[in-house]
Amino acid sequence: MANIVQVLVDAIALGSLYALVALAIGLVFGVMRLVNFAQADYITIGAYALVVPTVSVTPPLLLGALPSALMIGGVLVVVMALALLTERVAFRPLRNSNPSTLLISSFAVSYFLQNLVMLIHTGRPKSVGIGQGLANAVEIGGVRVPGVQLLTMVVTAGLLVALVLFLKKTPLGIQMRAAAENFQMARLLGMPANRVIALAFAISGLLGGAVSLLLTIQTGTLDLRMGLMPVVYAFFATVIGGMGSLPGAALGGFLVGVASVLLQTYLPADLRPFRDAGVFMMVILILLVRPQGLIVTSAAKERV
Amino acid sequence: MKSDTMSFATIGRFWFPVLALVIPLAIIVVVTGQFGGLSIQRTVIEMLISIVIVVGLYVFVGNSGIISFGHATFMAIAAYASAWQTCCEMLKPITMSGLPPFLRDQSIPLLPSAVVSVLLAGGAAFLTGLVIMRLTGLAASISTLAVLFILNVVYSNWDSVTMGSASIVGLPTYVTAWLALGCAVFAIVIAYLYQVSAFGLAIRATREDEVAAAASGISLYWSRLIAFTLSGFMVGLGGVLQAHYLGTVSINSFFLSFTFLALAMLIVGGMGSLAGAVVGVVVITAMVDIFRRLEGGISIGGEQWSLPAGTQELIIAAFMLLILVFRKDGIMAGREMTLPGQEQREKGLING
Amino acid sequence: MSRPSKERLEARGVAVAFGGIRALSGVDLELRRGEVLGLIGPNGAGKTTMVNVLSGFQRPTSGSISLDGIDVSKLTARKIAQAGVGRSFQAARLFRAMTVEQNLSVAAIGSGLSRKAARERALEILDWMGLAKKADNRCDSLSYGDERRVSIARALALQPSFALLDEPASGMNDAECEALMEVIAELPARFGCGVLLIEHNMKVIMGVCQRIHVLDGGQSLAEGSPQDIQKNPAVRRAYLGEKAADSTLAI
Repeated sequence: MANIVQVLVDAIALGSLYALVALAIGLVFGVMRLVNFAQADYITIGAYALVVPTVSVTPPLLLGALPSALMIGGVLVVVMALALLTERVAFRPLRNSNPSTLLISSFAVSYFLQNLVMLIHTGRPKSVGIGQGLANAVEIGGVRVPGVQLLTMVVTAGLLVALVLFLKKTPLGIQMRAAAENFQMARLLGMPANRVIALAFAISGLLGGAVSLLLTIQTGTLDLRMGLMPVVYAFFATVIGGMGSLPGAALGGFLVGVASVLLQTYLPADLRPFRDAGVFMMVILILLVRPQGLIVTSAAKERV
Repeated sequence: MKSDTMSFATIGRFWFPVLALVIPLAIIVVVTGQFGGLSIQRTVIEMLISIVIVVGLYVFVGNSGIISFGHATFMAIAAYASAWQTCCEMLKPITMSGLPPFLRDQSIPLLPSAVVSVLLAGGAAFLTGLVIMRLTGLAASISTLAVLFILNVVYSNWDSVTMGSASIVGLPTYVTAWLALGCAVFAIVIAYLYQVSAFGLAIRATREDEVAAAASGISLYWSRLIAFTLSGFMVGLGGVLQAHYLGTVSINSFFLSFTFLALAMLIVGGMGSLAGAVVGVVVITAMVDIFRRLEGGISIGGEQWSLPAGTQELIIAAFMLLILVFRKDGIMAGREMTLPGQEQREKGLING
Repeated sequence: MSRPSKERLEARGVAVAFGGIRALSGVDLELRRGEVLGLIGPNGAGKTTMVNVLSGFQRPTSGSISLDGIDVSKLTARKIAQAGVGRSFQAARLFRAMTVEQNLSVAAIGSGLSRKAARERALEILDWMGLAKKADNRCDSLSYGDERRVSIARALALQPSFALLDEPASGMNDAECEALMEVIAELPARFGCGVLLIEHNMKVIMGVCQRIHVLDGGQSLAEGSPQDIQKNPAVRRAYLGEKAADSTLAI
């Protein structure tokens, strides 16, 4: 029984983490039809900002050396700045391009950033110890929950609630949702495109930074591709959720996260390495049944 | 009846876009074969193999307008299939013990094995396409990414058959500059005949306007599926060539970096035309080669001087972004090669 | 109402609702082979929605479409096109990076021809419409009037039993309109098809249509010969408002 509860805790923690990343992807897609590969590198670079660039595999801490509050603030600021910078330099000039061009340009930005990190930090994985105290398990009602899992759940739940409040209650948030539902119409009705788009990128950076910290605390390692898997999962989440639907993105993220944990737990040991393939197959099967995703928006339909 | 009256001029004009690509390639092979050093000759062979791959990619991406991240999958399928059939007869029973006996205990002659491998790649593309081509453009693009990841996860972990993420070494290396040239010409001719055919015209119409194409009786699904399958065969051929040029196969060489480079070639040259695909390969190959040499170090006036490793990747990515921003249809901007003095109207005729 | 019959494209009781808005409610429309039927009405009357329903791009909320007596309500737009319903669009929607001949050939191929036969049919139609010289021009280099004519030609290249033309004359000057009227008037005889013509230019409508169907607010207002429609007081009110109901509709 306790075992099942533990699996559920894992599933919810990972599911909500992926939901967060999927929302970051979904927000930016909503305001400019860009599927942003570079989100992966926002996450990676946020994590690398914790350490001093050296060739060492156990590098001295940079932002990671600061007191917790400053460290968190520092990482978030770095990633938000990076997201805004990529928007300004690479994506704004392409704003009126078709989604395929935007997709391929974000692939190029991602490749650029990844190689930039490699140039600065070398390609070797590094270990970094922050938030070690969180490794201890907390016992809640007879179930041992690792502190990191608890933190992940608290942080993601907090961010999800904050984001929902922002999207429902503030004028900018409402404009952002309107844009996600019907981009052309929002532009026609006078959505301040520059501000809304910049804000979407800033939020995607904020979420990216939070994911950086959570991943680093969980694994204690830095890797050039640490942002890749969460973002690829998030891509699939936005597709099965229904492109352009923010609730769909969150739902999709949650589903793929939960599916991943369940497969990891219940697959026979020798099939476990194939877990990701299993999840991605499921994605394709869901699309076979519902080509437009679980929640269909006007963005998914072709107009005559 | 009509074809009897076709004059040489008409035939010449029909084939000009192909000849304008093929002849310079042949000249490059002859000249570097005579006067070039070994490293230049190797670069030329790599370039010709890239042409097979990128022209194959173009057949789907260029004609349909849908970006595919999944084509490295079909290359890998063909490359591994060829490795299973032809590689290292003595070691196979040990290193790849999971192979079925007819593969594990014998080698299959090179030509049939190549054909089988290419057919497998095309078959895999067809099956994948059956599912994915039902989706709208962007969802299809992201699903091709799923396909790439599925294959990567499976082949990286299927140790008894693929040797996991280790390299399979010892494939017969039979790819010469002339063979590579022959295959590049073959790929260009196939791509050209396809794009001027009824199927090619139909899929180009879906690229321009899906709604108007449907109103013209064109099936988005079938036209895309045909292009995807043909394209799968062609990159499969590229995979076989690459495997038997390098003599090794490794799953990590069929993943995101490779996908990026192939797409960069297509985008830089311009994905709207066959000439764009070929020109893009030539330009990017030259850039990669130059910066690789600079990273390796050169001496200027007795001073040893080199770029830090990784500069080449940064420059290619930045170059691709610049192209996207300032010349988004690529160097060739969707045009085919035309005779000097030919009117714009003529270009349209061939750019079909 | 008569029962569904051969040689007709028929809409029975078609209703379309977008969310809460009723674009069409209970419209019956019958297009016969060999006639030119005008479909007119004020802006927002539901004319384009009707064409979208007839060509399979818009599933009706209720009601049915039959083609030569066979129910085609469930078919996709592509299948309906192949079954012989060609259409043009208000915005020409040409395949811009392709040539004029290729634009037509796509539709000919869609109707089942080979590449070579498609080219022959395309050139024949272009020749007839006086566009032969433009056959190898790319569509992104065409003048506005030519764009509109090519979009009609493309609908014809499908060799349709029924051609649905959505405001083909919009934005054309008088001379272009005259030429277009000749083309449209000849379509039934030359292609053996029925033509549904949406048009705001009353001169065009009155000049080429044998029958006119008037929509207003998503409902059928009247149907009849041009003369009847011209005299119909309800039509005048819808078009011109109460005050102007006395003035003549014809231009």
